[in-house]
Amino acid sequence: MKLIKKADIVLAVFLIVCGLAASFWISAGGTDVHDGRVVVHVNEKYYGSWPLDEDREILIERDGHTNKITIKDGYAQMTFSDCHNQDCVKQGRIHDRSKSIICLPNKVVVEVISGESEYKVIAG
Amino acid sequence: MNSNRHSYRVGHGAVLTALAMIFSYVEAILPFNIGIPGVKLGIANIVIIIALYRYGIRMAFTVNIVRIIVSGLLFSGAFGIIYSLAGGILSFAVMLLIKRFRCFSIVGVSMAGGVFHNLGQLCTAGLIVSNMKVFVYFPVLVFSGVATGFIIGIAAGMVLDRLDRAGI
Repeated sequence: MKLIKKADIVLAVFLIVCGLAASFWISAGGTDVHDGRVVVHVNEKYYGSWPLDEDREILIERDGHTNKITIKDGYAQMTFSDCHNQDCVKQGRIHDRSKSIICLPNKVVVEVISGESEYKVIAG
Repeated sequence: MNSNRHSYRVGHGAVLTALAMIFSYVEAILPFNIGIPGVKLGIANIVIIIALYRYGIRMAFTVNIVRIIVSGLLFSGAFGIIYSLAGGILSFAVMLLIKRFRCFSIVGVSMAGGVFHNLGQLCTAGLIVSNMKVFVYFPVLVFSGVATGFIIGIAAGMVLDRLDRAGI
């Protein structure tokens, strides 16, 4: 019995082409995987939400406190805060869904919701 | 004679199932891990393919289902069984179809099986999380299915060749 036949090679090439086509389609934005949004709450009240994939700076001035959130390259970061401990600034940038930056003294909560899907295929 | 033949098949079926389960176990304790979750060799499929070629559809299907359920209960739990059954049944159906076309060898059958095993699991994952975004995984799993199916097909072909020569 011949181990590899011509039809097998054709099948392998066909499957690989299918895979390549699918990956091109995905990278061309066929399915939007970057739909993460940055949601900001100040003083336990909704302040606003912005898409994670658009670079911008958000300045929050409330009750004499100032915080600056920078969204860049799909990451959100607290780039400035006038609070005394600076924990929120030191926390760095966040990207994944269900992660958050909290500035306790100024009562500013920054979270990312439904970010890039992190589903892991459980293979049995 | 008839009952003799029957017990022959039962015995061989049991040995094949045990072998397939050992392969599942080997795979569970020896993760062939290249950093992508969901990518694995599928060594147990060697047994399924050999059963399909040597003993026919019914034997291969029974061994496949029993192996998935028992090894699922032993190593991964109910959710693992759902994923494995989806992958196992879809890949088995496609392997039968490919085998029908005489132009494909055992390697082609195995490659198709590998790809559609992954596809079946992906569809189940999509249904369970009800989110089609899992399909961003599709290309990776197609490539890995072709690669592992190729390796498994070569191995199964070599084993079949030796079985023929040994006259078993």
